[in-house]
Amino acid sequence: MTREDKLALAGDYVLGLLDDAERHDFEQQAATDTELAEMARDLGERMMALDDTVTPAAYDPGLWARIEQRLGAVSAPNVTTLRPARRTMAPAQRWLALAASVVVALGLGYVAGQIQRPSEQPTVVAVLLNQTDSSPAVIVEAFADDSLRLMPLEALAAPAGQVLQVWTLPDAQTGPVSLGTLQVAQDLRLTGPDLPLPQAGQLYEITLEPAPGSPTGKPTGPILVKGFAKAVSP
Amino acid sequence: MAPQDRDTAALIRRIAAGEQTALAELFAAEAGRLVAIARRIVRRQDLAEEVVQDAFVAVWQRAGQFDMARGSAGAWLTTIVRNRALNLLRDSSRTDYHDGETLAALGDRNADVTNAFDALAERDALKACLRGLDEAKRRAILLCYVTGLNHGEVAATLNAPLGTVKAWIRRGTIALQECLS
Repeated sequence: MTREDKLALAGDYVLGLLDDAERHDFEQQAATDTELAEMARDLGERMMALDDTVTPAAYDPGLWARIEQRLGAVSAPNVTTLRPARRTMAPAQRWLALAASVVVALGLGYVAGQIQRPSEQPTVVAVLLNQTDSSPAVIVEAFADDSLRLMPLEALAAPAGQVLQVWTLPDAQTGPVSLGTLQVAQDLRLTGPDLPLPQAGQLYEITLEPAPGSPTGKPTGPILVKGFAKAVSP
Repeated sequence: MAPQDRDTAALIRRIAAGEQTALAELFAAEAGRLVAIARRIVRRQDLAEEVVQDAFVAVWQRAGQFDMARGSAGAWLTTIVRNRALNLLRDSSRTDYHDGETLAALGDRNADVTNAFDALAERDALKACLRGLDEAKRRAILLCYVTGLNHGEVAATLNAPLGTVKAWIRRGTIALQECLS
């Protein structure tokens, strides 16, 4: 390998252009080739001046609490995960299941909402803000039984061929989980998949997706409204 | 060593000893900067926060591996965040954009690159050496480093053939390192 080849390889490494296998090879090679290791270290430290040009960003006040919560679980072997069956459902099947749950919600949700038993208190509430002008747009109440109540504060509808898809992020490992799709945001109750108890600080969002729902099972479209949950005091 | 970096190194040693308050101090001092670095790459506030969340859990687990002889504390922390952000970006299922959004996202990336370059200190040799490269090579290198694009994405952004972009980046990074040394 010529000196130029090494410089180019060190450049690719620092620029983040190597894939996992190539990066692993590079690190193996750099462990014995001090010239290559020094090239990468020197360039890396120089380029970091670009990272230091950022203006520190605001972040969700619940971020530290979420980290703290994970520290205790780091050594614990049992990380809560979704039931695999929910995630491997074929898109068509998922759509049918979600459509069914929306229909059930429409049929029963209003009735349940009118009765308002004391046990109906949500675990967390999130106010989702319109991402265009940060105005409150939808209130989400998440219940211990994995169900969810949506209360739109402003009109929110999907154009033809697209749907509104509701998501939550229970934790970083699990990633975003779909809670259901709908055409027009309206006061209704959704039955979500089996998830850990909703937590304060948990993210809820609605994105615009191609009908009948995100093709990847993860958010792909623009975020319309988004917010972080607050715990409801008993 | 800058005083600030000495503080960071001292915090990392305390974290390695299992002191959770030291991790909280490091978070308070660095989270805003790290969220902003991650956001240049993943483009979404929630994903950037997720990156920083993962990074601090990794710092908690790996603080014992930090070796000052191999680089500064600030660089170690920044590298953890950059690698997490790049991994998330490469996991395409999370970040597939609609066509309409792709253009907007690329536009933002160009603006971030220009801002990052302009904000470099005039006395920084990196700025002089980057300025010494021609515009296309400089922009290709900055799009990769600052915003995490790969060869193909840079080619699409700069509307140039893939082979040309690869050659720009190869010749550009060689020239940059020779200028800096």
